[in-house]
Amino acid sequence: MTTFIIRRLITMVLLLIVVSMVTFGIFFLIPRLAGQNSYELAAQYVGRNPTKAAIMQMEAKLGLNQPLIVQYGHFLKGIVAGQYYNSGTARTWCGPPCFGYSFRTQQPVWPQMMNALPVTASLAIGASVLWLVGGVAVGVLSALKRGTVFDRLSMGTALAGVSLPIFFTGQVALLLFSYKWQIFPNVQYVPITESVQYWFSNMVLPWVTLAFLYAALYARLTRAGMLETMGEDFIRTARAKGLPERIVVTRHGLRAAVTPILTIFGMDLGLLLGGAVLTETTFSFPGLGQFTIQAINNQDLPEIMGVVMLASFFIVLANTVVDILYAVVDPRVRTA
Amino acid sequence: MRRLRSVSVAASALAIGLVLAACGNIGSGGSSGSGGSNETYNAGATSVVNPSSHKGGTLTFALKNTPDSLDPGNMYYAWEIDFVRLYGTTLTTYKSCPGACSNKLVPGIATGLGTSSDNGLTWTYHIKKGLKFSDGEPITAADVKYAVERTYDRSVLPTGPTYFQSLLQDSSYPGPYKDPHGNLSSVTTPNPYEIQFHLAKPFPDFNYVVALPQTVPVPPDKDKGSTGGANYQKDPVSSGPYEFQSYQVNSKLTLVPNPHWTPNEDPQAKQLASKIELTMNVNANDIDNRLMAGDLDIDAYGAGVQAAARAKILSSPSLKNNADDGFANRLWYIYLNTKVSPMNNVHCRQAVEYAANKKDLQTAQGGPVAGGPIASTVLLPNEAGYDKNLDLYQAKSDPGGNITKAKQELAACGQSSGFHVGAAYRTDNPEEVSAATALKASLARVGITLDLHGYPTGSYYTNFAGVPNYVHQHDLGIDFGGWVPDWPDGYGMLDDILNGNAIASAGNTNVSEVNNPEINNLLQDSTSQTSTPAQRASDYAKVDQITMQQAYILPEVYSHELDYRNPDVTNVYSDQAYGMYNYAVMGVSNSSSSSSGS
Amino acid sequence: MALSRWCQLSPCGILSVGAIRYGDDNVRYAVDMDWWLRVAVTVDPSPGQHGLPADAGLTSAETAIEGRSLGQIAWRRLRRDKIAMGSGVFIVFLVLVAVLGPHFVANPDVYHANLINPTFSRPNGPWGGISLAHPLGVEPVNGRDMLARVVDGTQYSLLIGFLATVLAVVIGVVLGIVAGYFGGWVDTVIGFAMNVFLAFPLLVFAIALVGVVPSSAWGMSGNFLRVVLLIFVIGFFAWPYMGRIIRGQVLSLREREFVDAARSIGARGPYILFRELLPNLVAPILVYSTLLIPTNILFEAALDYLGVGLIPPTPSWGQMLSDAVSNGFYQIDPMYMVIPGLAIFITVMAFNLFGDGLRDALDPRAR
Repeated sequence: MTTFIIRRLITMVLLLIVVSMVTFGIFFLIPRLAGQNSYELAAQYVGRNPTKAAIMQMEAKLGLNQPLIVQYGHFLKGIVAGQYYNSGTARTWCGPPCFGYSFRTQQPVWPQMMNALPVTASLAIGASVLWLVGGVAVGVLSALKRGTVFDRLSMGTALAGVSLPIFFTGQVALLLFSYKWQIFPNVQYVPITESVQYWFSNMVLPWVTLAFLYAALYARLTRAGMLETMGEDFIRTARAKGLPERIVVTRHGLRAAVTPILTIFGMDLGLLLGGAVLTETTFSFPGLGQFTIQAINNQDLPEIMGVVMLASFFIVLANTVVDILYAVVDPRVRTA
Repeated sequence: MRRLRSVSVAASALAIGLVLAACGNIGSGGSSGSGGSNETYNAGATSVVNPSSHKGGTLTFALKNTPDSLDPGNMYYAWEIDFVRLYGTTLTTYKSCPGACSNKLVPGIATGLGTSSDNGLTWTYHIKKGLKFSDGEPITAADVKYAVERTYDRSVLPTGPTYFQSLLQDSSYPGPYKDPHGNLSSVTTPNPYEIQFHLAKPFPDFNYVVALPQTVPVPPDKDKGSTGGANYQKDPVSSGPYEFQSYQVNSKLTLVPNPHWTPNEDPQAKQLASKIELTMNVNANDIDNRLMAGDLDIDAYGAGVQAAARAKILSSPSLKNNADDGFANRLWYIYLNTKVSPMNNVHCRQAVEYAANKKDLQTAQGGPVAGGPIASTVLLPNEAGYDKNLDLYQAKSDPGGNITKAKQELAACGQSSGFHVGAAYRTDNPEEVSAATALKASLARVGITLDLHGYPTGSYYTNFAGVPNYVHQHDLGIDFGGWVPDWPDGYGMLDDILNGNAIASAGNTNVSEVNNPEINNLLQDSTSQTSTPAQRASDYAKVDQITMQQAYILPEVYSHELDYRNPDVTNVYSDQAYGMYNYAVMGVSNSSSSSSGS
Repeated sequence: MALSRWCQLSPCGILSVGAIRYGDDNVRYAVDMDWWLRVAVTVDPSPGQHGLPADAGLTSAETAIEGRSLGQIAWRRLRRDKIAMGSGVFIVFLVLVAVLGPHFVANPDVYHANLINPTFSRPNGPWGGISLAHPLGVEPVNGRDMLARVVDGTQYSLLIGFLATVLAVVIGVVLGIVAGYFGGWVDTVIGFAMNVFLAFPLLVFAIALVGVVPSSAWGMSGNFLRVVLLIFVIGFFAWPYMGRIIRGQVLSLREREFVDAARSIGARGPYILFRELLPNLVAPILVYSTLLIPTNILFEAALDYLGVGLIPPTPSWGQMLSDAVSNGFYQIDPMYMVIPGLAIFITVMAFNLFGDGLRDALDPRAR
């Protein structure tokens, strides 16, 4: 088991390194393929009417004129060992994990991401509880009441749920519940540290919107899983033993059907933690998704790298955790 | 422009089409408007709404995005220049009064406006004695000199204007961070309360230059170590009525009264509210809704409400009474490039001028109220030299466009069947996207096909439309733009966008690449030491006329905006100098609740 | 669900379960893909029987119909599924709208300033200015005909959704077969590539890529370049999921007796690949592709919504939605948002329903 975990962790680090290399390479190359040289790249961070000297100063300061390998080396070193940053008046130490300083705002990237993370985390964690409970409950009930009106209705809704773009449902929710009926007026992110009550009331719409999409998917998956499980031999055995149907469903059926759901859940959560771009855009929440969009619009390489690495980290971490948990549950995996 | 210092006229007279001939004759000096409850539509354009000297309460601002920086040496947005006065005072500043009177320059921390000597090459300012920073230290000329010096290091403070570098001698000075022992020889301090600027050539508008926030004094010993340089914006030493209590970068700023400030430091500012909060990254539509609900005091960005709020405000009499239709003193226009074929032929450019449907462009920019009146000149109506009769392409009398004339010009250009040309616009500006598609639709009527190329605002001038090579390679003969002069006169309006000497290889703002000797000479002439205001006005009028004749620029609208004022806020009025409400004099009334739930 | 069983068969790396995840985007598969994983381990096609995999799980009614190929069986089942057939007919209708519609509606780029209140920028009259001449009303600001823009938008949505799917399927199938059939280091390399792909926040990448490619490149320009780029970006990011499923299928199929039999009578790689394996992959490819189309349509709409989609004034549903939102227009003219939103919803729903029906029809274990 220990070797299995170690192997998974090594894979995880390896993946992150490859992801960082590819990301860095792509964002290094794209503007250059589009015909911009490092001088022109630097020009966009020097304001209006810059002199040549000013642009070249900025080019040198941001290290844009260095070869790809050198720039990447600095980046890696910053994450692993930290780096010094020249704020003009002092060499400031930026401890690991140092994702560098934003080209545009000259602020360290890491604290900015840490400011944005609670927004995304509030969104992702709250919504995930909702969709897991809601989705699984509806899925199980549908499976048990297969063919009934409830089943048809809930599966129809679920299909609609996966067919609706979240930026549409989100806006409709805002239009009705916020602007028209004023049930949740002026939705905006309020940190939980500032006011639990306002944090919660402002989160309700985004949570429900996001959860609706996922709940729909989870309901379909759960239903399919339940239907299959309930046809398995061990369920028949349980019933034959004379166990009450309630016990059969919850102890045996649900447990087997829900295990893979939890796997998917872990990975969905990991992915969302890296930034819920569309939901955050729709509700104007200053989370990692918004941060990403701004970073891309500004071609701010340190910010892009930071947020891509953080998002990848969450995805890879979630997968590793899921794999390890799976190995705990099912020893056969370990031998693979 | 990405960074614009906005100088705005909000006079209702302009809103209904009257025109101010010149700005100089209106500075009548009344420091407050009519008293009493005067909350009516457009009241804030000409008078102080809700005048009060009540102290206390929290004034809440919200911003739709994030600032480039709050460092006075590193900002260029109009709202930042308005807002910085809460914690910094410049050498000269604009008079705090409603209407056109606010275009008047008055002393800030200087005892008077600057005087020029040495054939206009030296400008001298005297600093008021006894002024103190928020840390209790005295403010001296050396602090102003240092503030100017540090802006020379563009790798640390990249954002502000570059007038000092281009006007002063010793343009190669690297700034105090790279050269701690040197100093900027073109700025001298003969004594602790006198500062002199030594110019490379005369510049009559220099008093306007030192009104920009780069002259907010910065004590050298506070711009050191880990809290200096790029980090100075986190807690700048204040020379204004308020000081930083806390600033979570790009998220939330809290200001509290500066105990060492006296009205003598800046007679144009007030210290009324006991706390000022600025929340960043708030959705623009939510800002409008919270303003109208009374939960928020001011939209910091100051560019007017969104379309949804506009409809609500204008259709509700009670809301409308709290709104002002402000003239933002900005021109929205389209550069017609003179190097890209076939736009290098004046007839092809004129064909575009005739064929464009100005009415559709106006609607795209927000309509007559939130967009502004259709423009037919480059000069804005409040700038000396503006000629309301200059309308060479009948933009006002025939706003739908003249197809016949356009086809004639096309024929004269040798392109009777029309042509293909690229058009650059900013994708993250919804009005500009609408305008670009509107222009495409109207030019299609005469066979001119636009290939639209959208770019992000942040790199529009630095990497795309402002890079002549890029423009040529991509046939960007038509480029959308907007301009707010850095100070309210023709020079501030015309020089950057029409002077041949202003053409740069990146960050170019003369996107038309106009290099017309006549225009260059007129602009040069207007800055000569001997030119009188009347001569200058006539120079600018001529530049305007040549520009329109040669069809270098297709004007869209003299930009307007619809602003909403929360009834709780006191001393509200549109300030022409900033193109928005004056943030330095506001307070909150007794009845005001401190803040919304956040 | 047979996740662990699949892991038994292959080096089960991270991301053992396939379902497209782009974060909160519902650009993801509404299909329980484990069904295919199940097929991969339970199917037992008899040698020489081409067509769809047979299965012991067929119900007695169907096993009784001897002599019918599984294709015929599936078709019979599909025909009986009214919802699936209904949505299939609707998809045909959508395609007709996309191809022929633009000839029957007004010019989508013509401005109707007279239908707009210039002060408010919104259409005159209720419901977004609905009239006989403009059955779905007009857009705020410029008064362009909504019907014409929605119809023209159909064309781009379907085109990009379909071609991106083709791209993803081609790459996924080829690499999946190669990985599964050859195994060894080839499998390891392709498998690692898939894992790297799946570890990226893909939506972010798509935005970034589309956002920075200049308006003319590689001999293409303008909207044509943008359409090609969107197809590439969307298709390219979807292949690993297809690849995974195909790889799993091939892994199980290549050990089957009928493959052994073919090999024993001297069949070589290409023959086995195309004559023995590919026919057995038709069902999953078909179902998966059908369900990939709506996903890609949503993805394209999302990119449009985020401002990196088609270039205006090209009509697109996502862009209409984002226009409606950006200036708050939908608060004063809700139809501007509702109409493109419904267009996306109905189209995606139709493909999902049809895909569901197709899967049920092809599912050997369906009851």
